[in-house]
Amino acid sequence: MATQPLIKSKQTEKTINGISTQVVCTEFSNYIFIVLTQYGKIGTLISVTPDSRSADISIPMFTTKVLLGKDEALTHVCAKNLTAFVSQEAGNRPVLLGLALKDSSIEAIKAMKDVIKSCRVW
Amino acid sequence: MNATESGAVGNAITVHDFSEKILEQVVHFHVIRLSGGFFLWVGSKPVLSNLAVSMNSTFDSMPLSTLVLGDASDATPNSLAQRLTKRTKKQVFVSYNLPVTDSNLSLMVENRIKKEMEVHPDKF
Repeated sequence: MATQPLIKSKQTEKTINGISTQVVCTEFSNYIFIVLTQYGKIGTLISVTPDSRSADISIPMFTTKVLLGKDEALTHVCAKNLTAFVSQEAGNRPVLLGLALKDSSIEAIKAMKDVIKSCRVW
Repeated sequence: MNATESGAVGNAITVHDFSEKILEQVVHFHVIRLSGGFFLWVGSKPVLSNLAVSMNSTFDSMPLSTLVLGDASDATPNSLAQRLTKRTKKQVFVSYNLPVTDSNLSLMVENRIKKEMEVHPDKF
């Protein structure tokens, strides 16, 4: 098919703390879809939505919701930490995140954020 | 996008796009192949309006399916995910973003997916 793909997508792989980490970012008009995985699977699916009422306040607020998988506090913390900047940069679009991590230490999360930045599609 | 397309690693994620003119409209397909499953998006505009997940069950021959995003009154993404799991035995994520008024269309879309699976089984 000669037609250009309608969906913009970028992917990369990086070893973080000795663990192979894969990222796939996909842009939709109403969502940014990010898969961040150390298992090769989507794992836990989380939506990160900017709160509309905070648009006029300087501190942005987000609502995280586990759509599929184990609903743990740490999952919400990681999701918000990893993707709040994506939502802001993408014009307050919500983010759909597939998260499957072996290592969720703060150093690893910081490194993963940089990997997401390298797959900017928004 | 080509970084992990070599397929050297068994569980490398691959992204695959294709499109087809079906009933006077261009339908786009976007597949993300994962370890033990895949994500499939179908649509003519780049929106993500629903998402269904399906996987095999130990207790039933029919795969289980649930809608994690979007309008639950529309059964199309669920049933498509279910049928693709039945066929591939894999965990399948489906986002179906076409008008549901025409049942012919969804049938033709499904056939197009099956055709692509036969030609590029390594992409699913």
